[in-house]
Amino acid sequence: MRKAKWNVFVPAVLCAALCLCSGATIALAQQQQEFPVATRTLKNGMKVLVQTDHNIPNIALYIFYRIGSRNERPGTTGISHFFEHMMFNGAKKYGPGDLDKVMEANGGSNNAYTTRDVTVYQDWFPRSAMPLIFDIESDRIRDLSFDPAKIKSEREVVASERRLSVDNENSGVLDEQLWATSFIAHPYQWPVIGWMSDIEHWTIADLKHHFEMGYAPNNATMVVVGDVSPEEIFKLCETYIEPIPTHDPPPPVTTVEPDQMGERRLVVHKPAQLPLLMLGYHIPQTNNADFYALNVLRTILFQGESSRMYQRLVDKDQIALDVQSQAEPAFDSTMLEVVAQPKQGIDPQQCEKAIYEELDRASNTPVSDKELEKAKNIRLVEFYRQMRTINGRANTIGTYEVFFGDYNKLFDAAKNYSAVSKEDILRVAKTYFGANNRTVATLVPEATPKAAQ
Amino acid sequence: MRSRAIRLLISHGILSALVLAMMLVAGSSVPLRAQGLRMPPHEKVVLKNGLTVLLLEKHGVPLIDISTIVKAGAVADPAGREGLASVTAELLRKGTKTRTAQQFSADLDYIGGSFEGDATSDYTVINAEFLTKDLARGLELFSDALLHPIFPEDETTKLLAQSADGIRAAKDDPQSVMFPYYDGYLYGSHPYARPASGDEISLAKIRRDDVAKFYETNYAPSNTIIAIAGEFNVDEIKSKLEQTFDSWPTRSVKSEALPPVTPAKSKRLLLIDKPDASQVYFAIGNTGVSATDPDRVAIRVVNTIFGGRFTSQLNEALRVESGYTYGAESFFDDRKVAGPFAIFSFTKNETTTPAIDLALQVLEKLHKDGVTEAQLKSAKSYIKGQFPPNIETSRQLARIIASHEFYGLGDDEINQLEAHVDAVTPEIARQVIQKHFPAENLVFVLIGKASAVGPAVKKYAQTQDTRPISDPGFWPAPAASKK
Repeated sequence: MRKAKWNVFVPAVLCAALCLCSGATIALAQQQQEFPVATRTLKNGMKVLVQTDHNIPNIALYIFYRIGSRNERPGTTGISHFFEHMMFNGAKKYGPGDLDKVMEANGGSNNAYTTRDVTVYQDWFPRSAMPLIFDIESDRIRDLSFDPAKIKSEREVVASERRLSVDNENSGVLDEQLWATSFIAHPYQWPVIGWMSDIEHWTIADLKHHFEMGYAPNNATMVVVGDVSPEEIFKLCETYIEPIPTHDPPPPVTTVEPDQMGERRLVVHKPAQLPLLMLGYHIPQTNNADFYALNVLRTILFQGESSRMYQRLVDKDQIALDVQSQAEPAFDSTMLEVVAQPKQGIDPQQCEKAIYEELDRASNTPVSDKELEKAKNIRLVEFYRQMRTINGRANTIGTYEVFFGDYNKLFDAAKNYSAVSKEDILRVAKTYFGANNRTVATLVPEATPKAAQ
Repeated sequence: MRSRAIRLLISHGILSALVLAMMLVAGSSVPLRAQGLRMPPHEKVVLKNGLTVLLLEKHGVPLIDISTIVKAGAVADPAGREGLASVTAELLRKGTKTRTAQQFSADLDYIGGSFEGDATSDYTVINAEFLTKDLARGLELFSDALLHPIFPEDETTKLLAQSADGIRAAKDDPQSVMFPYYDGYLYGSHPYARPASGDEISLAKIRRDDVAKFYETNYAPSNTIIAIAGEFNVDEIKSKLEQTFDSWPTRSVKSEALPPVTPAKSKRLLLIDKPDASQVYFAIGNTGVSATDPDRVAIRVVNTIFGGRFTSQLNEALRVESGYTYGAESFFDDRKVAGPFAIFSFTKNETTTPAIDLALQVLEKLHKDGVTEAQLKSAKSYIKGQFPPNIETSRQLARIIASHEFYGLGDDEINQLEAHVDAVTPEIARQVIQKHFPAENLVFVLIGKASAVGPAVKKYAQTQDTRPISDPGFWPAPAASKK
């Protein structure tokens, strides 16, 4: 689950870069020509990708740092996300509060998000703000300051964000518990936002250490899409970004989550009107070859009102309001989540049983030709939905570059999806949807405590 | 920008109608750099049966978007049957003369298309999207749902039960239900008090016949605007649309004018008790303006400074300087007649009154000091710089031209936006603040733990109301329950 600088109001467009992206059998050469990308690697190791688009006189600039909560340790969980907030709170040239004020006064806006794997900074601005944006970005990458007063107030901001998105939001609570139970060794076990007691206790020294560890230009990828030429961007990079010195990237995460050897279950008791059910299945990292077959299977099972799960749980049995799956891009072996919202008075175990029956069916009987075609058609439309905005493109191109190591995989996706066979789908269903590989999290409503009068 | 707080609601599955209303207000144009913002050319055709069709050719990606407005929203819901407009729109795809709900979904999903119906306070909106290569199939599916729905009994029952449970689930997440409570408490007996989604009680009373009657009364060519934008040839698509919709029989629709809105005349506070909440959510304000208010651009400029961006006065005070909250904002939700204005934020129980006091001080300061040239300059750059991504896609453009047609706004809404923004002076801002930003008679709605925050918030208003979040309905207590 990603956490952002300013997520209260943030548009939902950024979600799910990978899970949704790709094309079907339509000529990919054609897609590549439609959306050409120019690249350059700076002398300090930062790779820059540029795509020109004159549709609107604006530019989206994304910087992906390969550091997230998987690079943390117990005691300082959530520090990647907290650090993301601190990147807006003052550097050498643009002091506390200046960055946002200067950027907005020049027609720009910004945000950022942190996941288990990456921290991503986003700027959206008119052409006229272009040199300024580079000045701001280079200032904070090179010379971030750590003002104790800002750290104090930002700690409260993040605590409020946690209360908003976890403590007072049932799906936030259950999701956090699910990951903490499903992963026993790997750092994916703790929440991106961090445990509240860690939010309260990390120190300036922890922050400085984190900056030194993660914020090297050679640990970052820049993606720029919009009303600008590659030459203009490369020139600005030479002036502002290239002089920033290289240093060591974060040490590798060597812990491997051991195979799960039996179902794990957990229950959360909380005042609520409706129960909630989440299932987690371990799946491989994003750049694994099974990515495509798993996505086709997920599409058949979960996407649209004709999907198997919707037809079964929502339409036919009428035991759930909604059933969905999610899987975020990940460097390491990760988790596919299934979320079902049972109807009032329905035992979540009824939903569980229906979901297992559908997963078993997918593991034992091949999907139909029509379902396979449908899934590929849906992937094609989703590709265009993401490529229709400069914002969607910057996020998608960057996500493919970072998680597959090559943005061209975005344009190869069509070919890779069309290669998925019914046998592949049977195999991945059998491999990953077994009972021993799952964790089951249930939120059981308890009576609302009586208000003390 | 104004849609930000409301957009939260959409992610929780219900009440999405609210969102559309707000996103549409933005306006638009496709900008050739040298000319400034320009609305892309588009065409309006009125068919013989009275149907208004808007066409906008937009190239880039091979997608086509349809945005349809039926001029009957939640304000047309009969008292006690709140949610009827929304339910009717959602049921369009759940069975037609030639397709079951399941067949419709199968045909739609096969081409990767989308189709969704919902209602805002002012109107019903039906959006569809598909690839250009699937135009014939997409248009056929869209028109099948719009013209030939049969509202099967079992599908109606199913959807109503799901919608009611959707509201129960939303009440487990306090911020997602803030604005139905706020509108209900602010508007009292005015139709804008009605929750567009309906509530647990009203949804239980709706019957299949209510739905069929709502459709027959309101879904008529002369009462409908179909906007279509995307990668197509206007002339080709025009004849296709004529063929498709010419057969829609004319029906006369009588439209009822909305009563004028009366702003709240005294302070009132509603506390919705959620006993397990560790954070209190609050909305403060009064009624705002209509979508055609002559001051709308100046209001937008002032609100950008006050609560409409990250460095706004509200967010600076409540988040950046004090750390009370993750975010604070204000917005005007412009509607046919005066929509709501609200300040919205949240903070931990312990800092409830310091945070609310601070929000009120920021509002007071706006009235006392007005805004400076420098603040105006920054807000103007911000609005102009951030506007183009609002008119980037055919989806956005279809929704904008449909909404402009509904509210009677022209292309100048976009073509003149920069000029109108630039024309705002500190003196104009001062007048707009006096006239449109409430100062005295504020309405407060809080969702939080009453035992923890109740005593302290008594100071804000003499009139106070409290109700548990677990009580069905929003506010006022649904008329139907009194019958």
